[in-house]
Amino acid sequence: MHPSNLKSVYVSLILAFICLLLPWSGVVLQARPDFLLLVIIFWLIRAPNLCNIGTAWFVGLFADLATGGTFGQYALAYTVTAFFAVIYQRRLVLFNGTQQLFYVFLLLITAQIILLILKTFAGALSLGWAYFLPSITGVLLWKIAMIFGLNTGGRSRAR
Amino acid sequence: MARSFNQKLEQQQAPAFFARGPSAFARLVFFSALSLALMATDSRLQYLVNLRQSLEAALHPLQLLANTPAQIYRDTNEYFSTHDHLLSENKQLKQLTLKQNITLQRLNTLTLENNHLRQLLDANEAMEESSVLGEIMHVGRDPFTKKIIVNRGETDGIIAGEAVVDATGVIGQVTRINPLSSEVTLITDKSLAIPIQVERNGLRAIAFGHGRDNTLDLPYLPTNVDIRRGDTLVTSGIDGVYPAGLAVATVMHIEITPDSPFARIVCVPTGGVENHKQVLLVSIPHVETSAKKAVINTPKTIVVPSLPASVIAKPAQDLHEKPALKTPEKVPAIKADKAVEKSLDKMPLNNTSAPHAPE
Repeated sequence: MHPSNLKSVYVSLILAFICLLLPWSGVVLQARPDFLLLVIIFWLIRAPNLCNIGTAWFVGLFADLATGGTFGQYALAYTVTAFFAVIYQRRLVLFNGTQQLFYVFLLLITAQIILLILKTFAGALSLGWAYFLPSITGVLLWKIAMIFGLNTGGRSRAR
Repeated sequence: MARSFNQKLEQQQAPAFFARGPSAFARLVFFSALSLALMATDSRLQYLVNLRQSLEAALHPLQLLANTPAQIYRDTNEYFSTHDHLLSENKQLKQLTLKQNITLQRLNTLTLENNHLRQLLDANEAMEESSVLGEIMHVGRDPFTKKIIVNRGETDGIIAGEAVVDATGVIGQVTRINPLSSEVTLITDKSLAIPIQVERNGLRAIAFGHGRDNTLDLPYLPTNVDIRRGDTLVTSGIDGVYPAGLAVATVMHIEITPDSPFARIVCVPTGGVENHKQVLLVSIPHVETSAKKAVINTPKTIVVPSLPASVIAKPAQDLHEKPALKTPEKVPAIKADKAVEKSLDKMPLNNTSAPHAPE
């Protein structure tokens, strides 16, 4: 288990950002998981001393830039989500795999609901249930990462 | 002492027992307020435009990096495309060129003729717009807005508001400029409206995007409006943004319900974003101040004197054949309009073409 340091936080965030920038299109674009938010949640659980709400806000700004929406939408969504991740961080570490998966799903949904509210205020249309697809794919990605041996905190307790 | 204790905790992958810095709630409030302020500034004021542009420019290398895998995949595909495929494509393209050349020859004569007629009418000549060829870099990242990013930007002289067309029709409008790329909002986006004209009868209307599916709407048209299924909609050009006469959409479906004073008209765009990689960014036609004057000066009755004699003679011939027509004084005007169109089409054949009655 390599120690978590600031460098790995930033490298992983940049990688996630490049994943966001990949030229997705069509159905895959609709189902594209929120890579940045997943990485942030991971670091918030794993190393809350390195990554906090401020980091989430800053990363949210980049997400805003990449999606071309109004500045601050993703920033606000990530901030609130990060807050919920941080206040339950100590419990999250104690959770087993399934519980953690469920909580991560709730976090992803939270971010999407906040974005939905902001978009509705900005005059977007009703988006349908496909809007919540990224949360599901996000959780799947989290699960795959766990299967491939990524330490998401839950297992470090069990050792 | 305390620091070394903390470091030990970090190594054990356990969170610090005592929260350092401001509490989570304080951070939440602070950053939420900051986000809200940013949102308000960005949506209402124009302060952040430059910031966004410079940040986008800084991100451009990263974007190119992200596009590389897809690019490599495409290039490899092209490299390994079979001989047969290339041959058939070549054949197709040759045929297409031949066809287009024939149309183009006709267009040249028509343009000359049109210019000549415009001179006769003392009207301004139709302007030719310059255009820049761009390539679609990627579809917009928000799946719920219809946007694409094109690899031409401020450095290529692109201005916000330019029309974007592909081989088959208008696909959208440039809405945001970055130094090296620009964002194009498609005509199917909810926020875009485009002034159109029905090609068949010149009826003007405004087409609105839907956002949800790949269709356009023509709202606020009465139920008795003369639009039929299969009608082609072209840009009217009166907005001063889109050049006139570009294909926009085809009417797919008309629905008239007794409880609404308006018809529900659904159209399908002729241009396709999914199908093409290259697009043309057409510069905004210059609005000349003298254009207005010329229109006012143009006498309305000039149409009739400039007609060929054979054309004017035709209505009489027509009346002779069809005695049922009761309004002889109205006929020449209607006939004249049609005749002008015809005479433009095939000047020397006018006498032989069978005239049809204006009923």
